[in-house]
Amino acid sequence: MNGQAGTVWLRFLLALAVMVLWMPAAAQATEAQPQTANSAEAVKWLQRLGPAMNMTSYRGVFVYGRGQQVHSMQVAHRYNGSMVEERLVIQDGGSGEIVRRGMEVVCVLPAQDTVTLDAIVPSGPLADSFSDQLLPATRWYQAQMLGEGRVAGYAVVKIALNANDPYRYSYRLWLEKDTGLLVKSQTRNADDQILEHFQFTSLDITDDIADSELQIATADKNQTSTISLEPGSSATELVTRLQGWSLDWLPAGFEPAATPRSDKRQVIAFSDGLAAFSVFVEDLASLDMPTGASRIGATTVYLRPVQSDGRQVLISVVGEVPPVTARKVAESVRFNSAAVDSANVDSATASLVEHQDASR
Amino acid sequence: MDDRLRETLSAMMDDEADELAVRRLLSFSDQDEVRGQWQRWQQIHDLMHGTGAAADLVSPAADVSAGVWQRLDGGVPASEHNAAKAAGRQRWHWPAVAMIAMALVVGFGAGSGWQSAGELELVTAQTTAEPNATATAASVSEVSLQGLDDRQRQQIHRYLLEHAQHNSVGAGRGSVGYARLVSVDTGGY
Repeated sequence: MNGQAGTVWLRFLLALAVMVLWMPAAAQATEAQPQTANSAEAVKWLQRLGPAMNMTSYRGVFVYGRGQQVHSMQVAHRYNGSMVEERLVIQDGGSGEIVRRGMEVVCVLPAQDTVTLDAIVPSGPLADSFSDQLLPATRWYQAQMLGEGRVAGYAVVKIALNANDPYRYSYRLWLEKDTGLLVKSQTRNADDQILEHFQFTSLDITDDIADSELQIATADKNQTSTISLEPGSSATELVTRLQGWSLDWLPAGFEPAATPRSDKRQVIAFSDGLAAFSVFVEDLASLDMPTGASRIGATTVYLRPVQSDGRQVLISVVGEVPPVTARKVAESVRFNSAAVDSANVDSATASLVEHQDASR
Repeated sequence: MDDRLRETLSAMMDDEADELAVRRLLSFSDQDEVRGQWQRWQQIHDLMHGTGAAADLVSPAADVSAGVWQRLDGGVPASEHNAAKAAGRQRWHWPAVAMIAMALVVGFGAGSGWQSAGELELVTAQTTAEPNATATAASVSEVSLQGLDDRQRQQIHRYLLEHAQHNSVGAGRGSVGYARLVSVDTGGY
């Protein structure tokens, strides 16, 4: 009798001990669950963003601000099942517009003489470039749902993309709930200050976009410049264009993104899917430049004049990255001493690729 | 601070203050109060314009009131002077450069949202253009674009433009990419 009661008591104690031990673990599990589910949901939204950018038809006005500058632009965007057509009209300052039909873009910009749009080469087919870029980007950023809200009259979800390291900025993205269209975005630094912002102030998501809304209004054909978005040279070709110099350091996740068709200057662009920067290396004997960084909103310009083989060379890193990143990249430029021949170009290529791998 | 000074401050925000009033404001004994008032209004201004980005561009400690005085005494740059004359305005137009400098004096906002007159007028903290010898590994020396000459600024403008082009239409960034391109093209940052 007494022994039986003792066994029951022991069992009760054991059960209690198990419960006490198990409960914190269970509590932890339920806490961790929403966190990963939250992140997974954010990534799911980001997956929708790429197609939504192209395949949603809409018209509206958005504002874009960086540094002291705020611009507003009117946009009409139509997708007819196979081709994207869009037209952007600058609403303040000088008049100008950009009209795109499929892979052809016509620009009429206020300072037309300074724009050489033929220098643009896309990094890939437009239709899927954004989504392709964003997915690997989730490796370098922590995606998180921040709740819901309203922008330009539409219900939205708010997503944070927080940088995993100090070499890139963080982002807040607002996506329209039905279509996944990006309706607002902010670029923030480590102190959570907003450096650059983009936001629709009026928006109408509709399939009813007239042809007239997409036609270029500028009559004078001489003022326009047309470019094609057909993919030109690939990233691998780009890397072989580096002549006489290479990069010893790149922030993790940044890969060659676009190649400009400039023979005189040495340029290479990198992107991690969200942020991008360009590295310029140019002989500038006649121009003295200071060393250091300037910032315009989220854009950093880092200048580093150096002597190489008795020549005055200017290294410039320009992009939406923190000054410390731009400086590290600029300081990692290494010149190959010998004159440029094919062997040197090959070794430059090799070292760039090698360092990219090492940085991962 | 009396209503008249407050009015001047308000007018400066709207780019409409006259020179005399600005001199009076700068001579006001309690500059802390001026600074505080400006800051509060600037915050409202930022909220209305959805900005607030520029605050990090200026060091709160930066004191360039001397620069504003100099501008007031030395007059406006020739190009702006001519522009003002051409416009045939009666009112003395408070130049954008001085406006931004004023924002630096009060140490907040750097006039975010104002559209400046056209040429490059980037505002950064007043720092040395030379590499800082005592700089630690983490710090990056800042270059003030205002301190550069025309050719240097043109060079930087070219780089900005080219970078914006790399990332506009081609990179699939949609409207943000276009906006960056237009932003550089129209200048005035």
